[in-house]
Amino acid sequence: MVLLSAPRWLRSRLTDRFWRVQEVLKYARHFRGRKNRCYKLAVRSVRRAFVKSTKARREKKRILRALWITRIGAASLEHGLKYPAFISNLLKSQVELNRKVLADLAIYEPKTFKSLAALAQRRRQEGFLAALGDGKEPEGIFSRIVHHY
Amino acid sequence: VAKTSLTSPPWPEAKLPDPVEEAKYHAEVVQKVNKMIAAGQYGRLFAVVHFASKQWKITSEDLIMMDNVLEAECGDRIRMEKVLLVGADDFTLIGRPLLGKDLVRVEATVIEKTESWPKINMRFRKRHNYQKKKIIVNPQTVLRINTIEIFPCLS
Repeated sequence: MVLLSAPRWLRSRLTDRFWRVQEVLKYARHFRGRKNRCYKLAVRSVRRAFVKSTKARREKKRILRALWITRIGAASLEHGLKYPAFISNLLKSQVELNRKVLADLAIYEPKTFKSLAALAQRRRQEGFLAALGDGKEPEGIFSRIVHHY
Repeated sequence: VAKTSLTSPPWPEAKLPDPVEEAKYHAEVVQKVNKMIAAGQYGRLFAVVHFASKQWKITSEDLIMMDNVLEAECGDRIRMEKVLLVGADDFTLIGRPLLGKDLVRVEATVIEKTESWPKINMRFRKRHNYQKKKIIVNPQTVLRINTIEIFPCLS
């Protein structure tokens, strides 16, 4: 005989409540105060901790990039260049090092960073000379040739 | 004509050195560096390599961990081809943007292929009975950089 529904005198009891509680408390053991011992307080703190860590993982990328930028700016000021001039001239000379590596070079390889600053300075001066002018008059609007590459 | 604020550009005027003399000086420097490389008068080399969509500053006997799967077995030797910069104590070779494959050789071995620690992704909105928890485990690869070699073929 197969019974399709359980009889009313059969009751289900929770037997692993201890382990379910420990699963949450193990993440709260290093907290301060009663929230490292009491489950009710710990649940709230652990949940907030997880949410903060997920949001921080996205912020970390922004924070680190800002840190690298300040470091590169400070290092280039030691060589007489400001950060925007340094970065823009490096990119114009087709040197595609990212900010993380530039910051590491500024800390651990000062000679290399000095040579990169000199490269950026030279490219900057060439840019100024090119902007000043060939001295030629611009040709007529309708007789200008448009290049499509 | 009277001098106004717009007669001269706001940046200090700088003269570039003579191009002929500069070319001679450049050729001398390149020859010197070539001789130094051929004679082997450099200590430890460091390189900046573009690998797994990230740039790494590496030396020999370095460990690197990346957050993805490499299609190579453990113990395979790998040659990294996108080298952006190579430097020693007295000279650096800067690539625009990459250095030639006949100039630098960076070799690495795959040591370990594991998974990362279980990262917890949780979303919660208060007073709205909304919370989601997801455990993310990323595959990771550990590489050991064996050697960085340079060859004297500058021009």
